[in-house]
Amino acid sequence: MKLNIAHLYPDLLNLYGDRGNIQCFRKRLEWRGIECEVTQYLQGDTIDFSDVDIVLLGGGSDREQEIVCEELKKIKDDFKEYVENDGVVLAVCGGYQLLGKYYKTNTKSIEGLGILDIYTEWEPERLIQNIILESDLFDMPIVGFENHGGRTYIGNHTPLGKVFYGLGNIGKGDFEGVVYKNVIATYLHGPLLPKNPQVCDYLLKKALDRKYGTDVEFAPLEDEMEKAANNYIYARYSNKGNVLQENIKKRL
Amino acid sequence: MGFRRNLVIRFAKWASNMSQKIRGGQGVTLPGYIARKLDHNILTALNGDVRKKTFVVLGTNGKTTTNSILYNALTAEGEKVIINKTGSNMMNGVTSAYVLATDKKGRLDADYACIEVDELASLTVLPEIRPDYLILTNIYRDQLDRFGEVDITFQKLKEAIKKTPNTVLLINGDDVLSYTLAKESGNEFHVYGINEQIFDDTSRSEIRESIFCRQCGHKLEYKFFHYGQLGDYACPNCGLTRPEAEYSASNIRLTNVGSTFDVGDRSFTTGAKAPYNIYNTMAAYAALRMAGLEAAYFEEMIAAYDYGNSRESQFDIAGTHLQIHLAKNPVGFQQKVSLVLRDDTPKDIIILINDEAQDGKDVSWLWDVDFQYLVDANANSIIAAGKRGYDMQLRLKYEDIPCEVTQNLKETICDCIDNRSSNLYIIVNYTGLYSTNTLLKNLETEYAGKEGQS
Ligand SMILES: [Zn+2]
Repeated sequence: MKLNIAHLYPDLLNLYGDRGNIQCFRKRLEWRGIECEVTQYLQGDTIDFSDVDIVLLGGGSDREQEIVCEELKKIKDDFKEYVENDGVVLAVCGGYQLLGKYYKTNTKSIEGLGILDIYTEWEPERLIQNIILESDLFDMPIVGFENHGGRTYIGNHTPLGKVFYGLGNIGKGDFEGVVYKNVIATYLHGPLLPKNPQVCDYLLKKALDRKYGTDVEFAPLEDEMEKAANNYIYARYSNKGNVLQENIKKRL
Repeated sequence: MGFRRNLVIRFAKWASNMSQKIRGGQGVTLPGYIARKLDHNILTALNGDVRKKTFVVLGTNGKTTTNSILYNALTAEGEKVIINKTGSNMMNGVTSAYVLATDKKGRLDADYACIEVDELASLTVLPEIRPDYLILTNIYRDQLDRFGEVDITFQKLKEAIKKTPNTVLLINGDDVLSYTLAKESGNEFHVYGINEQIFDDTSRSEIRESIFCRQCGHKLEYKFFHYGQLGDYACPNCGLTRPEAEYSASNIRLTNVGSTFDVGDRSFTTGAKAPYNIYNTMAAYAALRMAGLEAAYFEEMIAAYDYGNSRESQFDIAGTHLQIHLAKNPVGFQQKVSLVLRDDTPKDIIILINDEAQDGKDVSWLWDVDFQYLVDANANSIIAAGKRGYDMQLRLKYEDIPCEVTQNLKETICDCIDNRSSNLYIIVNYTGLYSTNTLLKNLETEYAGKEGQS
């Protein structure tokens, strides 16, 4: 078996250690004896989605995001079709925002791909801290770091998780990210996957099942170190409750 | 010198003296604060007493080392020099350095002044000093700056430099931001740099962030990188090209004890183990030459110069050699990885990662460092420590490099001293430095005691 991973614009969207997400996909396939090919797509490259099993779209500064947006417009229809056909996507930070309809900054509005029915609006206060989610998809909490000026309104979409600690999509400490078909879009980096192997394996399994048309056999791995790193963050905040959310409620 | 100014200085010194006696220290910026309250022109006046030239050193990394080499080089030439110490590079600290350098009569006896200035303080300090020369080491963003603060720094520096149009700049031409700034400022400028690619593959990152031309916004192309954004760049769109360096290092050889390199027809042997200290040395040397000095004693001075990584942070305890290295950002860590690799003897390595505000609360930058090279480090063991030790362990797991985690640093270091390779590297980020240094000092004493008893 083999998966093809498309890393989109790694030279532009690489703010928060996205290499870690790629490395996590790669190693967790390798350790199971499954082949993996990562292709970096740069500005001007054409992408044949029929040959892609996983897309990673990372985060960049506003300036870089705008350049990427121009690029993405050219492949908008193919990308949408890929998603609707259950293509696997991990979109982080800026990538998350780009999947939506638009991102309104303090000076202008950047048009997104419109693959998700969501939109983002910039606010001056940046949300910067560790964050923990509880997701219906997993038993293990999802831990990471959020750092975003945008507030993302997800409408009727399903969030990735409920915020256990941190601020999330709109800074209110309620929900974070979006899950749509085989797309996971989130503000969490740190990077996301190494400390959350459950999320990595979920995406890998979806991609394998889609490609090979069956429920493929997918061996569990020794995840003691991953769990230790995950649990360290969880334990740091677990006895406090979501104090951030409490504070927001008090202010209102 | 006026009677009033004399009084101001004497009062400021007296008051800070009193305050030190009362509060016990912390008086580094107080004399400056008091003197400025009494006479807001005091800094300009005192700098006017400097007989020959005033140098100001600015930049994200390397200010303190560059300024210190410059000070030592001028002193070696037999000049009288005043310098401000680390931690006093804002307005009051700079003023204090001048005030405290005066004699009992409130007079300044100095040929040169070497003043390090914080980038954000430059806007107010530069117009008051109006230095003859300004050395800009580099403009970087570090891991704390992930959303454009480098643009703010750039603008502030430019504004500050524009206020002193007669100041001659010395810039690192390998840094595209410094070069663009020098061009945009309109001031006269000179250039130093490294013309050849440093033979140090591990300093370079695989996936590199694009660097964009500030003139036209196009992606820059590089012939080679040294580290970070430093290298031989050109813009394919508007033609911006790395300037020819008037002072450039060549024939660079790095070893685990130091380096040798040539500048023009001169040859330097130094204790600089890392490329960034070659840049700092180049900056200081070029500054002397730019100011018209022959720098006849530079070779001698620099051969004996202590780059700071040796004295306080190297220990020999019960036959084990221990060294602490501070790495503050991905560029710094990559350099430490290179440094470890240049030592081919067996070793143990402790990597301590904290996530306090000064370290950066976000540790995702660990994944931007090419730790995979450590596989060739001839390490018996690699041990992760600190608050985010598990993150560090995980980072290495995904390079298939075994790594232990310790919750008890003291115990682990003792185990290394007692049972392991007798060559221990400890790489720490910011908040781990002080505590680790203290720990090793205490261990030094403890082990000396044990030897005494036996
Ligand atoms: Zn250009």
